[in-house]
Amino acid sequence: MTGPDETALAWARARAGGPLRVPVGTPAPAGMLRLPEPSGDGAWLVPQVPETADARVLAEMGLAGPLLEQPNDTARLLAAVLRCCWPDPLAPIWPGVTAGSAPVLAVFGELTGPRDEMAHRRSAVAALRRLDQAGWLLWDETADTIRLGPRVALWSGSDLSTLRQLWRTMPGPQPAPPAPEAAP
Amino acid sequence: MTSIFEPVLADLGERQRDEILAAFAAVEHSPEPVPEAVAAGLRDATLRRSVAEMLHLIGRTLVRAGPGQWTSGYRDDVAERLTADGGNPLPLADRAVLTLVLIHSVAIPRTEGTLSGDSWVDGTPTPIEELQRRTQLPRGELRQSLGRLRAAGLVRVVPARLRPGTVPQNTAYLPGPQFHRLTETARRRLQEELILAAGPDTPLAAAIRRRRAPAAEKETS
Repeated sequence: MTGPDETALAWARARAGGPLRVPVGTPAPAGMLRLPEPSGDGAWLVPQVPETADARVLAEMGLAGPLLEQPNDTARLLAAVLRCCWPDPLAPIWPGVTAGSAPVLAVFGELTGPRDEMAHRRSAVAALRRLDQAGWLLWDETADTIRLGPRVALWSGSDLSTLRQLWRTMPGPQPAPPAPEAAP
Repeated sequence: MTSIFEPVLADLGERQRDEILAAFAAVEHSPEPVPEAVAAGLRDATLRRSVAEMLHLIGRTLVRAGPGQWTSGYRDDVAERLTADGGNPLPLADRAVLTLVLIHSVAIPRTEGTLSGDSWVDGTPTPIEELQRRTQLPRGELRQSLGRLRAAGLVRVVPARLRPGTVPQNTAYLPGPQFHRLTETARRRLQEELILAAGPDTPLAAAIRRRRAPAAEKETS
């Protein structure tokens, strides 16, 4: 008996672990989108299903969607990353630009409203971790920088026009003030 | 870009395509098994075969999760390759907590004969206190692990059963709806792994090892 073919394996790996990071020159298996990594170091493979076969079908069928922890904060943080890492909303969304975590957290703070500093940081970090694990963003914890994840490349034209409108209504990242570090 | 599913869908009418794609999306994305009643692509045996063919192309398979209920899971040959690589997206602590829930909610009741069948979804809820007692993790980490496992559909929270004369317990845990996605082979493998871990010196464990080693099998048969 022969084992499973490479296409089926690649799709299953992406289902289990999110978008696949592959070396330069790796051909994309059937149906997968190949996104060159902007640093030139390899590429991402993201499975692409027809729009009528993605998760939004659940709502049309009256079925519950996946459970999301802290859905509001998670959505707000993704919105903040979108605002900071997609400087020109008329340009393609992938790969976008890298942003430091400070401006992202500041925009997130604008969206959530006043909270105490600890709670603000804790909810932001939890949301960053969830979104990073799911491939919606790439969080380099050592460098403390954030980028959009390869999954955003799957957003359709109509998704993007909704997101552009949202982008325009959001506060942008402020240049960091040179002033003292610690706020009271 | 042409869809990977074209070979399955090419000769079908638009309506059938839509029904098959919707059923595919439902079994792949719904956290719970999908009742046939809501998806024509699952109700009709011919359309359902096309859904199964689509799933097969991407390493998945259609799994019957009860009468008139369907979900999808990894093909057995694909699961074998994925786990052979040693890859596992779950953090170690989460795996440990999940194993505790499986042992206390399903494995022990099954051994005691209070639970029949080979499902990993039904069982005796394990109270949070029991998990706190059995785990080596600090309480905060246990709580975080349970939160992640719950979001992943690997455990679910149920109200703890009230026993007369006892202090009411907070919450209890059962394996989550993702366990519906296990194929028959995967369910058996999970049971065998727990036997090998819990009683490596038992005759049952010896029998499992014998069955898994093809050379040994030839000698004894």
